[in-house]
Amino acid sequence: MPSIVEARSVSRIFPMAGGAVAALRDVSIGIARGDYIGVVGPSGCGKSTLLHVLGCVDVPTSGQILFQGREVGSLADAERSRLRLREIGFVFQRFFLLPMLTAWENVELPQAEAGVARAERRSRTQALLEYVGLAARARHRPSELSGGEMQRVAIARALANRPRLLLADEPTGELDEATGRQIVTLLDRLHDDGTAVVVVTHDPAVAGRAHRLLRMRDGRIVGEDVR
Amino acid sequence: MRSLRLAWLSLVRQPARAVLGILGIAAIGALLFDMLLLSRGLVLSFGELLQRSGFDVRVLASDAPPFTGPRLADASALAGRIARLPEVEAVLQLRVREAEIASFGGGGVAPDGPMDQAVEGVGRRRRVEFIGADPQVRSMWTIVEGEDLPDAAAEAGPLVVNPNLARRFALSPGSEVSLRGRCANSPEALPPVTFTVVGIAEFPFDSVTSTTIAGTLADAGRLCGDAGVDRAEMLLVRSTPRAGAPGAAAAIRALEPLLHVVTNEDLIERFSRVEFSYFRQISTVLATVTVFFGFLLIAVLLTVSVNQRLGEIAALRALGLSRSRVIAGVMWESAMLVGAGGLLALPLGALLSLWLDAILRSMPGLPAALHFFVFEPRAIVLHVALLAVAAVAAAAYPMRIVAVLPIAATLRREVVS
Repeated sequence: MPSIVEARSVSRIFPMAGGAVAALRDVSIGIARGDYIGVVGPSGCGKSTLLHVLGCVDVPTSGQILFQGREVGSLADAERSRLRLREIGFVFQRFFLLPMLTAWENVELPQAEAGVARAERRSRTQALLEYVGLAARARHRPSELSGGEMQRVAIARALANRPRLLLADEPTGELDEATGRQIVTLLDRLHDDGTAVVVVTHDPAVAGRAHRLLRMRDGRIVGEDVR
Repeated sequence: MRSLRLAWLSLVRQPARAVLGILGIAAIGALLFDMLLLSRGLVLSFGELLQRSGFDVRVLASDAPPFTGPRLADASALAGRIARLPEVEAVLQLRVREAEIASFGGGGVAPDGPMDQAVEGVGRRRRVEFIGADPQVRSMWTIVEGEDLPDAAAEAGPLVVNPNLARRFALSPGSEVSLRGRCANSPEALPPVTFTVVGIAEFPFDSVTSTTIAGTLADAGRLCGDAGVDRAEMLLVRSTPRAGAPGAAAAIRALEPLLHVVTNEDLIERFSRVEFSYFRQISTVLATVTVFFGFLLIAVLLTVSVNQRLGEIAALRALGLSRSRVIAGVMWESAMLVGAGGLLALPLGALLSLWLDAILRSMPGLPAALHFFVFEPRAIVLHVALLAVAAVAAAAYPMRIVAVLPIAATLRREVVS
């Protein structure tokens, strides 16, 4: 199956005051439709950097990122933004919902940016909030939601433009165990519904659901379990 | 969802910050607006004052300020020659004399009223300025009670007095007044001359304390005992509508090349360049300082606000919002803060200008109708333009922060922190 996104010999080096730090070293990986990938490893091993590079929010120091066959490094900032907007969904550990917007408006925001017509936005937002079980909380602002509810809104927002790829960076990192399980169940459903999912996690419960588990250390993929 | 709405929501999310910002800009904007009103206020007001006199060209013997230089010789003949020019509609000779009120009859029209009431000892100021003018030419003052000077000379010299004098000495049309000239060419005390008040008039250049009287040219001569001397301080000329002031001035200069001929526009230009330039310089300096303060205030507010939201902004960029969209959001926030503050500044500035104008106008000797702060549409345009520049400049740094924000590094930092 052709890859949605492919990393070819990707390295990412951060220049630091005390010397350069290699967050990724010669990493190659392909993510195809239907994939459910977990990325695990100790803190600072390059998991989030890999996610950022695959999600086109960061560019590798060397190597190539091909998104549906297009070399991402050659794209202008505006083109990369458009690519992220339409093809990639992000879920963050800290949710990063806009606090002045309601749950409904947070989910609507990427659609409005993508130019989705108002009527279509309404029905899509309604469907997404129902999908994550928060239709009744649509008019609530993030400050009126629990951590789990905020993360569910963030997932709905990530899905707003029907991305092919969902990237989640420690999605349960700020949640208690029970709430984390709800999020994991939601990610399972997303995968079952056809979205490729990549989850960076420290949580064995989350990692255990992935069909491919990548183990990272010192910026390299040092192991892969396929189930 | 437009950047405008997001910017609005960002502002209302922190109402205290927004209100403080708007109030700060309103206070700064009010000062800026006042400085703009002050920068040209005197010039505009002075121009209006000159226009109000009804004459647009002045003829003087030299370029010294009016009433301080030499007098025009053979003034009547000169006025006649100028009046015959086709570019000229009317010529008014002005002879200005100092005088003091020797005695007055109060109580109105009764000739058998309390005449010859001694003023000395009452403690009132008696000095007056006597303007001798040709009654056959429409005068520069405005009658508010009674009548203007009659065309034909009356037996008892007719006078119009300004409201200050009328109030101070209880004068009204029909009252009699004795004036004694205080003339430089008469070392001896001159005998008082008795006049009859025919009207009360407002004089355009009167200060709030001025005591001004107008009479005929002949009476100005009688007052100083120099009736045979045909000299005038100034000729006021009204041009024909067709020729206009420049045309009339050119014709007079051609006729009398040795005289100093100025139009109202010339005077305004000179005052603007010389006498009033201090106010313009002060207002320019203060306006610059206020705009700079406005810039600093908004720059600090926006920079703090953006720095507090770096994680959010990075997340929005990761979700695909374009760089221009998040930059526009910052610009809109700046525009809304400055726009709301700038609007509020207008009524505040207007009120403040009334107060400051009243303080400055209380300086002694200034024409009462002269204003320091004068509204003109140009002031609003400049106010808006300067605040817009401040808004854009203030947003520049926070916009740059947003523009160059490294998405991945910011997200990583937010999680670590």
